[in-house]
Amino acid sequence: MSDRLPRLPSFYRLVAHDRIDSTSEEAKRLAASGAVEGTLVWAREQTAGRGRRGRVWSSPPGNLYVSLVLRPACAPGAAAQLGFAAAVGLGAALESLLPAGAGMLQFKWPNDLLVERRKIAGILLDASTGADGRLDWLILGIGVNIESFPDQTSYGATSLRDVGAGAVTVEQVLEVLGVHLLRTLDQWRREGFAPIRRQWLSHALGLGERIDVRLEQDTLSGRFVELSDSGALTLELPQGERRIIAAGDVFYPAL
Amino acid sequence: MPKFDVDESLVRKLAGLLEETGLNEIEYEISDQRIRVTRGGATMIAAAQAAPMAQAPAMAGAAPAAAPSDAPPAGAVLSPMVGTVYVSPEPGAPPYVKVGDQVAEGQTLLIVEAMKVMNPIPAPRAGKVEQILVSDAQPVEYGDVLLVVQ
Repeated sequence: MSDRLPRLPSFYRLVAHDRIDSTSEEAKRLAASGAVEGTLVWAREQTAGRGRRGRVWSSPPGNLYVSLVLRPACAPGAAAQLGFAAAVGLGAALESLLPAGAGMLQFKWPNDLLVERRKIAGILLDASTGADGRLDWLILGIGVNIESFPDQTSYGATSLRDVGAGAVTVEQVLEVLGVHLLRTLDQWRREGFAPIRRQWLSHALGLGERIDVRLEQDTLSGRFVELSDSGALTLELPQGERRIIAAGDVFYPAL
Repeated sequence: MPKFDVDESLVRKLAGLLEETGLNEIEYEISDQRIRVTRGGATMIAAAQAAPMAQAPAMAGAAPAAAPSDAPPAGAVLSPMVGTVYVSPEPGAPPYVKVGDQVAEGQTLLIVEAMKVMNPIPAPRAGKVEQILVSDAQPVEYGDVLLVVQ
């Protein structure tokens, strides 16, 4: 491990680990014991990295694993907006690292980041609501494939190295992410969800096209017609019925 | 006095909007009817004829003139948001709680997911799980009764 810690805006309080179970679990533990907003847990390796619904997030050294403590004092229903803000910030950060000629960076609903239709980064959020019904804290977990990516996924994956970003280091990615993420979080605070939603839509993969959405016990096929004001996916089924989807995995039919 | 029919779907819609926008209060007026939904410890619903209420200071001791007819039962735990509810931490895992379980205050009862935000629903108080009104992976609306803890 190099001794140089990444340089980050003063908003962040970096908590660096060589190895931990999960940066989000650690951030939750810290938040529960009063950690301030901006506390950023970073680990070079996770032994129990996780994704949605108990899935494993492959976490060998060489990739970025961070979890940020936020205390946005909003209603639980508004927390999803911060997931989109994070995706937009992370997207800007990765775009600045992609070489000329790399495929376009796109978002897969709600907040996966893809290059050439393959997943390069993911976001997962954990909320805790206080007795007053407001968010107590929100943990924003981010994983970025830099040196490697898992090859056994139900979707395609890739890494910054694989798309030609060369010798970019974890520290460099973290520094760039720190700046862009803070910018979009500030924009959300000042201007609300509308500009975040617009930026997300401008990079959305599959908008207007037929997609499959895998739910827990069912898969729906239809046209991805809209992102709702709360961030839900609006799917138009073949019979014309519209379904508003708050949770599921999006798949794109083969080209 | 004309009968004031509470439009439940409207109230629910307004409550959902309140939740989504993070506002503390929404007032909706049409002809002589007015519905105000405010956020407090619990969502309070006040409905009345517009004219007499117009001069009344907000919330000044006025009892709600009408309440939803399907007021949740005592001990009801409501969904704080629109989302998908999960009864267990991951598919195939044992549920967080079963009917008849004793739970401690703050113990996780369910998870509601919306756009990859995982929201554990804590027990508001210690007690016994009397009823579970949702099934795994079911979509829920804001204010839906998820379970009852007595």
